[in-house]
Parts: sequence; structure tokens; C-alpha cells
Amino acid sequence: MSTKKSYYFITRRDFIKGAGVMGAGLAASPLLSACGAGGGASSGPVKIGILLPYSDIYAVLGESITAGIEMYLDEVKNEAGGRKIELIKENTEMTPPIAQQKATKLVEQDKVDFVAGVVSSGVLMGTRDYFHDNKKLLICANAGANAISRGAKTPYIWRASFSNWQPNWPLGTWAYENVAKEAFISVPDYGAGHNMADAFANSFEAAGGTVLGKQLTPFPQMGDPAPFIGDIQNAEPPMVFCFYSGGAAVTFVKAYGEFGLSGNIPLVCAGFTVEEDVLPAQGDAALGVHSGLHWALQLDNAENKKFTAAYKDKTTKDANVFALQGYDTGRVIVEMLNSVQGDTSDVDKMVEAMGGISFDSPRGPFKMDAKSQNPEQHIYVRQVQDVGGELHNVVLEDLGAFADPSDNSLG
Amino acid sequence: MENFIIQLLNGLVASMLLFIMAAGLSLIFGQMNVINLAHGAFYLLGGYIGLSVVRRFDNFWLALIIAPLIVGGLGVIIEYLFLRRLYGTHRHLDQVLFTFGLALVASDLIQWNWGAYVESVAPPTLLAGHIPVFSLTFPIYRLSLIGFGLLLALALWLFLERTRLGAIVRAGVSDAQMVSGLGINIHLVFAGIFALGTALAALAGVVGSPIRPLYPGLDFEILILTLVVVVVGGLGSLQGAFFGSLLIGMADTFGKAYLPEFSLFLIFAVMAVVLLIRPAGLFGLKENGQ
Repeated sequence: MSTKKSYYFITRRDFIKGAGVMGAGLAASPLLSACGAGGGASSGPVKIGILLPYSDIYAVLGESITAGIEMYLDEVKNEAGGRKIELIKENTEMTPPIAQQKATKLVEQDKVDFVAGVVSSGVLMGTRDYFHDNKKLLICANAGANAISRGAKTPYIWRASFSNWQPNWPLGTWAYENVAKEAFISVPDYGAGHNMADAFANSFEAAGGTVLGKQLTPFPQMGDPAPFIGDIQNAEPPMVFCFYSGGAAVTFVKAYGEFGLSGNIPLVCAGFTVEEDVLPAQGDAALGVHSGLHWALQLDNAENKKFTAAYKDKTTKDANVFALQGYDTGRVIVEMLNSVQGDTSDVDKMVEAMGGISFDSPRGPFKMDAKSQNPEQHIYVRQVQDVGGELHNVVLEDLGAFADPSDNSLG
Repeated sequence: MENFIIQLLNGLVASMLLFIMAAGLSLIFGQMNVINLAHGAFYLLGGYIGLSVVRRFDNFWLALIIAPLIVGGLGVIIEYLFLRRLYGTHRHLDQVLFTFGLALVASDLIQWNWGAYVESVAPPTLLAGHIPVFSLTFPIYRLSLIGFGLLLALALWLFLERTRLGAIVRAGVSDAQMVSGLGINIHLVFAGIFALGTALAALAGVVGSPIRPLYPGLDFEILILTLVVVVVGGLGSLQGAFFGSLLIGMADTFGKAYLPEFSLFLIFAVMAVVLLIRPAGLFGLKENGQ
């Protein structure tokens, strides 16, 4: 059918125009609507803007964090510092420009008192200047970009989550002592991937280990990782360190199993790679994988038992680290509001209150480190095991408490 | 060398999956002159329906039949209710807007129904596991996917070139009005083609689900690659879809294996070069400026 005469109603030019329309549409696709507008700053309800992805590959992260925040706020009957709390949610998708629009909308149109959320490091870095220039407080519920605790630090951004360095630096030493002396690294080619790989490699090499090779995979769309798995197979390393999240985590670990690498070449990773949100889809390919993270579903403490049971009750799913971070973000919000007695008119007072927050979290002791503006917290080594017919992360070892070093000296 | 052979196999797997998608998109375009931007959504829908069938009946083969049937049926309904109103010259922008809108709506409905969690489908037990290829290993399921893609290509070629129905379809590509004038119900042909195209997308979704886990957003990832294949191969041609898939699948795989930092860029570089040399694509029909 290739050479016959034809009467096309459309030319290739039209086609490409059409594809362009689609591209533009993609860039501005579904907006999650918000509610509420106007209002004062220190009377009536406290208005908190929530910036999270509710569509595409990080949708589960956005949903989990939201459920976590709401769960904690429910526990305090949606009230702190003598004022009611009102959340205004906006979908950032994955794109910094859209997140900037939404941040502007929340601050200037909805006149929120402060903002919480942010999943991707790209979005955090992309909105950093806006919060800094406008002196608006942002409480980050996930994005771990090291720079926010270091070179790009601003008084107005505090994290209730982690820095990318935190889970991986202690893991590097542990992996050298317990798994293998040589490692091959596979991470996505963007800020968080680089941060995590550098932190792991730094302590792994300091302990005496050798990094055999490093593979940077396309982000956000990795596609089929088979060619990368092929390269790993070919390099025959005694251990692989990786970091992937969401869809990419499932795709990567599944392919690792498919090609017969699971169980033969030990996989050690940043805990997000085998977190509870992706484990059911990874299945047996994830069995035995070691990871480092600041929380685990099976972590044995009273707060965690309460949290995980309540989360399952509310959502019917097992909790995951993102939900935990949402829950702690809710707690940080409430502690801060209590400490300023509901007075959100002075951002400097709120910022000062942030530095003094500490409490018993389901992740263990949570102590806001005023220097890195990021929690000091315990890092756990976990292993994926079959727990009564389901795969979960079981805690093998508590590596102790770590705060981000606030500079790049340790990777 | 061993790594090269493994990567060659990986390239074939990627190509065959792309081909199943591109064949459907190309068929719809060639016959109906409609650029179906909802093609990725039909892929994802097929994958998710397959997932539900596998969960309920624990039978992958059943999913392979049911998902394309349901999605193909849906294709007929969409063609009859909406697309039929948008045929004709100078309506391409309408068609693009409609199918893009459909893609967005479908995307949200899929997330609403199946949730945002990543889901994966296990390959059928018959094809699970991996076999040695020299000193390395390769999954059996992926090998069978190569065979499946080649068989499907052959079947589609035979259908178009050797059957009476195929002749009508080819005639429709050349001149739909004339075919209509010869007493053939062109509306029926259009509906059939749209159903076949969407069913192929759903089929790709099912066979792809064991190696490409399902999650919101996968629809647009797949769509963009498929569009690249169709542009490279030439619009509306089955050979174009086949060789375009091979070229893009190989470029993607070898780019990832040997130049990982440039792999995304490489696909588009290949597209640019092909378009420079052959503006209508590898097997594209000549543009005749209407």
C-alpha cells in the first residue's frame, strides 16, 4: 500500500501542527480545581496551600502525603494555636513552571498563610526563589534536594521529610561492611538521582569500596530499562546500588528479576525504590533487596503502630514513607501554629518556631535541625521479606541518627 | 559481543511493542485521515482491562482476547457517536482537539477507576523465567514477544494485501469517495478500521504489561514514541510502521546501552535526519498538496 496514488486531506505539516497542539496541551493539562479565596492573615481559619502532584507518575505520592496530612489534622480536630485549619490543594504535576503558577495562585489569589507539600526536587528548586523573594513559608513534605539544606538554603523553606543525602550516606558504609566491596550504580539522570548516588559513593569509597561504573538513566521517562539491565549483566558487579521511585521503581526492579539478576547480584538501594507503594507490583523480584530509609512499615514503636493501623483503616492500603512524611508534615504544622499561638502575621516568628520542633514520630525521634532546616532522624537498614504471605520491609538495623551536613563535604 | 546480541534482542522487543501500537495508529490515519491522539489511552485502557481479567480469572491468554474486544467495541462506539461528525477536509484541527480531549478524559477515568498505584501483570506461567544466551540470560517472555510481533506483522500484511477486505481498505486509502461510489459502505469500513486500530492498541497494552508496568501517564509516554515511529516510517503505511518501529526501537535501545545520557535525544535526532532525507518518512506516500 505504499506507492499508490492518494488524495490526502492532511499534509505532514498539518500533522506536525497537530502534534504541536498536543504538546502545548500536555504542558497545561488537567488542573485540579481549588476552593476558597480571599481572607485575612491572623483571624479566621489558618489557610494552608498544599502543592502536590495528583496526576501522572507521582500521583500516588501526592495522594499518600495528602492522606497523611489530613490524618494528623483530624487527630487535632483541625485546630491549632486556637484557629481552625483550612487546606487549599493544587496539582503541581511534575513540572516546575506549573508548580510556580500554582504557588503564585495560592499565595496571591487565595492569600494562604503558608504552603506545604512539594514532591519533586525539580519543583522544589523551581519554586525556591518565589518563596524566598516573597518571604513565604514552605514546609516541604518530600523533595530531598540537598541544595535546599546547603547552598540554596533560605530561611523560608523547612523540610519535614529528608535530604537526599540522609538515607544513602550511612547505607554506603553499611553496604561495604555487609554486602560487597565493589558496586555498580544506576540512578535517574536528575538532581535527586545524582544526590543519592554521590552520597552512597562518598561513604562507600571512604570505607575502602570501589565504584565499578555509574549508569545515568533518562528522567522522567526511562522507558523499558532492559538495555540498562543488559549493561549491568555484562559488567558482572558483585553489588548494584540504585535509586528509583514510583513507576520507574517497579519497571526497574521487575526487569532486574526478569533477567535473572534478583538474588544473583545483590541490590542495595535508597528505600524509595522498594517502598510499600511499589512493593506489591514488584513482587518476588524485590525479595531480599536491602535499602536504607528513615522509616519502615514494620518499624517497632508505639507511634508507628498507631499510625500504620489508622492509615490502613482510612485508605485500605498499607502506609508508605510518603504518607508518613505527610503525617509528620501535619504534625510540624500543628506544633508550629501552637508555638506562635496561631499568629501567622509574622513570618519570622513562624520561621523561628520551626527550628525548635521535636517530637516522637512513627519514624523514631524527629528533631528539626535548625542548621540544615531538615530533620535529624534515624536511618534504618531494611530488607524486603515475606511477612505472612505479603512482601514488606523488615528492619535489620538502626544505623543511628543523622542530620544533613549542611555542606557538600560528605557527598 | 554477547552484550551486543542481548541489546539486539532488547531492540527487537522494543520494536515489536512499538509496531503493534504504530500499526494501529497508522492504519487509522491511512484509512480515515484521522490522527488519533487517544491511541496511548487505548493502550493503557487495554493494559488495565487485561490486569483486571488476569486478577479475576488468573488467565493471561483470556486477557489477550478480552481486552482488545472491549476496547475495539469502544472504538466502534466512539467512531459512531463522535468521530463520524468530524470527517472531511479542513477538520483536522477538530479531530486533533477531539482525540486529545478524549485522551485527557480517558486518562482521568482510568486513574479514577484503577487508582494511581503502579500495577504490574505477571507473564503467563508458560513463558515465565529466563534462558541462557551465551553466558548471559534473557527472559522467555520477551523472546516470545519478538515472535508474536513478527507473526502479527505478517498477519496484517496478508490481510491487507491478500484479502478482499484488505483490498477495500487499500482502495479506501487511495480514494474513499470512489470506494463509496462503487457501492461499498465506507462508513462500515471506517468503523471497522477504527475498531481494529484501537483493538491493536489494547493488544499492545496487554502484551506490554508484563514488561511495562501500568501507571497514570504511561499513555502519553507511549503515544509520543508511537507518533515518532509513524512520522519516521511514513503516515498510513504498514511497511512504514514496521520499519519505523525497528529503527526507533533500535535507536532507543542502543542509545540507552551505549550513550545513556543522550538516549532520549537520539530518538529525535534519528527522526530529524530521516525527515531531512525523506520528508514524507521512509515509506510515506508523496504529498500532493491536495
